[in-house]
Amino acid sequence: MTDPAHSSGKPLKIVGVAKTYQTRSGATVPALGPISADVAAGEFLTIVGPSGCGKTTLLHLLAGFMSPSDGKIIANGIPISGPSLDRSMVFQSYALFPWLSVVQNVEFGLRSKRLPRLRRRQIALDYLRLVGLQDFAERSIDELSGGMKQRVAIARAFAVEPSILLMDEPFGALDALTRRTLQHELLRIWQERQRMVVFITHSVTEALFLADRIILMSARPGRIKAEWRVSIPRPRDVTSSELVVIERQIYALLDEELAQTFVQDTTPTPAEGRQR
Amino acid sequence: MSKAAASQLGRARAVLPFIIAAVVIVVVWQIVVTLTQPDPSVLPPPIAVLKSFGRLLGNGQLIVDAAYSLARVFSAWLLSAAIAIPLGLLMGSSESLDRLINPFVELFRPISPLAWIPMAILWFGIGEIGKVFVVAIGVFFPVLLNTIEGVKNVDPTLLNAGRVFGCNTRVALFRRVVVPASLPAVVVGLRIGFGTGWAAIIAAELVAAQNGLGFLIANGMDILRADDVVVGMIVIGLLGFLFDVFFRYLQRRLGHAR
Ligand SMILES: Nc1ncnc2c1ncn2[C@@H]1O[C@H](COP(=O)(O)OP(=O)(O)OP(=O)(O)O)[C@@H](O)[C@H]1O
Ligand SMILES: [Mg+2]
Repeated sequence: MTDPAHSSGKPLKIVGVAKTYQTRSGATVPALGPISADVAAGEFLTIVGPSGCGKTTLLHLLAGFMSPSDGKIIANGIPISGPSLDRSMVFQSYALFPWLSVVQNVEFGLRSKRLPRLRRRQIALDYLRLVGLQDFAERSIDELSGGMKQRVAIARAFAVEPSILLMDEPFGALDALTRRTLQHELLRIWQERQRMVVFITHSVTEALFLADRIILMSARPGRIKAEWRVSIPRPRDVTSSELVVIERQIYALLDEELAQTFVQDTTPTPAEGRQR
Repeated sequence: MSKAAASQLGRARAVLPFIIAAVVIVVVWQIVVTLTQPDPSVLPPPIAVLKSFGRLLGNGQLIVDAAYSLARVFSAWLLSAAIAIPLGLLMGSSESLDRLINPFVELFRPISPLAWIPMAILWFGIGEIGKVFVVAIGVFFPVLLNTIEGVKNVDPTLLNAGRVFGCNTRVALFRRVVVPASLPAVVVGLRIGFGTGWAAIIAAELVAAQNGLGFLIANGMDILRADDVVVGMIVIGLLGFLFDVFFRYLQRRLGHAR
């Protein structure tokens, strides 16, 4: 039997996924993996890792913007071959369409679903209400603050009722207070709608506050270095002793990887050495 | 202060420097005339120009000539934009098409529209088609190049957002994201294109026309009426300025923060 709360999708399977970029000069950059992981339907997964370790790469692979160099990703039982409304995304830079009003932005994905106009509007307004922006429906995007923009982006992402939500440092550009408010709101919406969330963050505290599970990635090419299951009920107090223990472990391992990144970045490769 | 009053004050603040500049020009002009006492057929005093302005306005000639010039520019501008915008959108989104067509663009672009006037006369005579042709060339390149730039500069994250939210085909992405996202750049092209077109039509009318503002000033020269020439110049300047202001307004309306 399926748990009704988790019935809106199947697990996401990441099987031996690796990505190597080809630069214009012909060099190859191994950016990610291979990594394997299963994410349960409705699970809130956060990923932390040193800068440049391939987190965005992983998320873009999950979104279907590009294909892995190796391995495969299976969503809803089928391998990912491109973007889909079932895997929606919240971008760090909001990525709202500035020529559309707030409500039209939320409707964008619903139009793709070919819903009738009135139904579309109604759903969009419902989701705007969910993020507290019902009074801003007709505003233009330029008139919104960063926090409001990201709320619109969250409404847009949830409105298509995807089974998976991909978030790449969605609160990274926001001030601490707005960030906190949006973390609460996101949790509230997530608990209401029970979607799988894959959430990338640089903030260990944010990961501890939000996640069912935290994955720590190693320096580039990013692999899974460690993971923690966090089964403390929400809302959480990140200063609680249980979370502080996990926090310490994460920082200890992260420091190892940061040292690694530093060595990688400063040691000349043999080719560079010869040029000098 | 009420919103309307505030916006009125804002407008006054924007217009004032232009009025001051206009006054300065007239004052300096008058001083030069007073000091050097030139022959009125070389440099007429402001008052003489004002009188000619009244005369040309009264007998309808100014209106007719301005209407001719504007009609030519607008038809050429529409025609040219109708070709340049779609072509620019396509060239901006297709690397291979851009590579194919860009050499032609770059080879023709340095040839000033004015350099086409003789050919236009040889091909089309001194009728309307030749003038529209010359102006269309002047409009074409700014519109095309700005459109291409606009498409190429569309934020890749917006393209990703479009793909996530259901633009499954290149056509859908083009229609729903690329075109609206590059619209502000297209308007910039239309504005600059109108400016070059406006310059080109006056030049074309100087050489080959029986009417239009270019003809008005060329004719003024022939009959040694410098006052008519200056009237024509002022009207050319004013109309060009006003259309530029209009396009800038349009640009602001469409130019969402990027
Ligand atoms: N298009 C590309 N071509 C070549 N290399 C790339 C490309 N995109 C990313 N990379 C490289 O791949 C590595 C991983 O990049 P990615 O953006 O996934 O890292 P990240 O973990 O998201 O970093 P950050 O935390 O700073 O956002 C980096 O070293 C980056 O330089
Ligand atoms: Mg990143």
